[in-house]
Amino acid sequence: MSSREAILSAVRSARPAPVALPDVDAARSTFVSPDPDVVGRFIDAARVAGADVVVSERAALEHLVENVAPEATLVLSAIPSVQGTVSRHADVPTLADLDLFVCEGVLGVAENGAAWIPLSRLGVRAASFLAEHVVIVLERSAIVSDLHEAYAHIDVAGEVFGTFIAGPSKTADIEQSLVIGAHGPKRLTLVLV
Amino acid sequence: VTARVDHPAAAAEFVADEARTDWHDGALWWVRSKRDTAAAAVPEWERLRELASAIKEHTLSHLDEYLERFEANAIARGIQVHWARDAVEHNTIVHGILTAANVRRLVKSKSMLTEECGLNPYLEARGIDVVDTDLGERIVQLRGEAPSHIVLPAIHLKKEDVGATFHEHLGTPPDLVDPTALTAAAREHLRERFLTADAALTGANFAIAETGGIVVCTNEGNADLGMALAPVHVASIGIEKLIPRPRDLAVFVRLLARSATGQPLTVYTSHVHGAEPGRDVHIVLVDNGRSAQLGREGFWRSLKCIRCGACMNTCPIYRRSGGHSYGSPIPGPIGSVLTPGLDLERYASLPFASTLCGSCTAVCPVKIDLDAQLYRWRQIVVGAGHTAVGKAAAMKVASRVLARPGVFRIVGAMLRRALRVMPRRSQQLVSGAWGRGRDLPAAPKQSFREWYRTNRLKGGMR
Repeated sequence: MSSREAILSAVRSARPAPVALPDVDAARSTFVSPDPDVVGRFIDAARVAGADVVVSERAALEHLVENVAPEATLVLSAIPSVQGTVSRHADVPTLADLDLFVCEGVLGVAENGAAWIPLSRLGVRAASFLAEHVVIVLERSAIVSDLHEAYAHIDVAGEVFGTFIAGPSKTADIEQSLVIGAHGPKRLTLVLV
Repeated sequence: VTARVDHPAAAAEFVADEARTDWHDGALWWVRSKRDTAAAAVPEWERLRELASAIKEHTLSHLDEYLERFEANAIARGIQVHWARDAVEHNTIVHGILTAANVRRLVKSKSMLTEECGLNPYLEARGIDVVDTDLGERIVQLRGEAPSHIVLPAIHLKKEDVGATFHEHLGTPPDLVDPTALTAAAREHLRERFLTADAALTGANFAIAETGGIVVCTNEGNADLGMALAPVHVASIGIEKLIPRPRDLAVFVRLLARSATGQPLTVYTSHVHGAEPGRDVHIVLVDNGRSAQLGREGFWRSLKCIRCGACMNTCPIYRRSGGHSYGSPIPGPIGSVLTPGLDLERYASLPFASTLCGSCTAVCPVKIDLDAQLYRWRQIVVGAGHTAVGKAAAMKVASRVLARPGVFRIVGAMLRRALRVMPRRSQQLVSGAWGRGRDLPAAPKQSFREWYRTNRLKGGMR
């Protein structure tokens, strides 16, 4: 018997009495409605997560780099309206030195300040984890209240990779002291348009 | 056969440093308090716990079907799925994948399952360079220790300990103890490892049957760096990680980080549903005792665990005995109900590492009846004859005395008299381990029975 068959048959014979799958959507409809100001809640939650939040307009994106990171020289942009200095075909050592990576999120989540970004919006998957500073552009109209709503809107399996990002990378593994910039970005800026 | 874990002896060693014990206790209680604040901010918190519990119980009661569905969907996405009955088979499979891909350098993100399987020493013995990249795990790896907590692997260490370890292994200045500076040194050291790794190994927080994908949650971004840079990604997953659908994820993801550290969400919640062109993703589904636990009537619900660590942070025994005292890859209340199923004799002392106060059950985001399961294991341990000799003898004497009212009265009267004249040190014969740090209360002159006879029966209040 293969290990697959051995495990499945062991599980089959060990199964407890069937338990019904609860209706998550019905349960959610009974939750207390939070403050309808999703943009306000999103901004608060993102700041608690350590992100900077800038409220801007789509027309102003061409000046984005000089506005949020004027000192950045190695810039990779995954959005056409923002001009970068590094090609998306750059080698890994170059990507590892990125000062700034710019991309656009699909959706924001008010309860935790996270932005959903699938691979197609990242362009180069590693860039968003290697760059010193990451900027995520997000439409204000694309902010939803909570994760239930978020998972209902996005197609988690639509691409080989997708991630919720909430703030810059961080750790508290040494004496529970919060340190921003563990392995990934030391700064995260959310630009709401 | 490995030696039995002696939790009381290991705990005694830990508490010998009183100041450090207090510090450890306080550090974990602080994390527990952050969890409370986060939970209180979500009005539907208790509903979420009920939903999470029910979804997991449903999945476990149909686990074979969900595993088959997960496998079929993962394969359809180009993910290679492997099945491992036990730790040895898991290690063999992982080594086989790495060998086939010519991997010399492996970066790992946190995976308690690979701790359980002893993967690191297995691979290192076969010439593979294994680097744990979670900061806490890297610290304990450099020290040759095991993680002492499933979410906070280095919670037992002070910054001075980390400074000394980094000075020895990473060449930082001997007096460098600032957490920010130490983290920066680790970042630089591990960056190089990420950039040159041939493969990345991760665990998974959830595996979604309906889509055949996995979810990996981290704050540091280490799992993502590994997965994004290395051409081969291996995810080792216990078979209990399955959930049915993406919409169920919302329930668990909302609970996980809030329960673990008090954050509303980890920094990265990453969903993997295949490989980029030219890359490989492997998933190893591991049983290693889980199907046996599923078949144990009083214990199968322990498989609902989502590894948040809240039961450890709240446990008065864990906080004051440290994770290493459990001698188990997963310490604390959840470790004490999971590991006896793997080796009852070896882990016989763990179900007793609890006050049965139930605080673990009260904070568990998936409502595992941890204290009840600990109590059930105690009965099985005693039934199998694995209790310490002294304790077993004392319990036998106690049960004889308590079952015979006449004997109880005589022994009670003798003890009341004896305790008044015995020196404090010899009183410990009566108070046992409990009396080591405490005095017994003064023995009363009469028993309740004698008092009742004098004051009530004779007073005519029948």
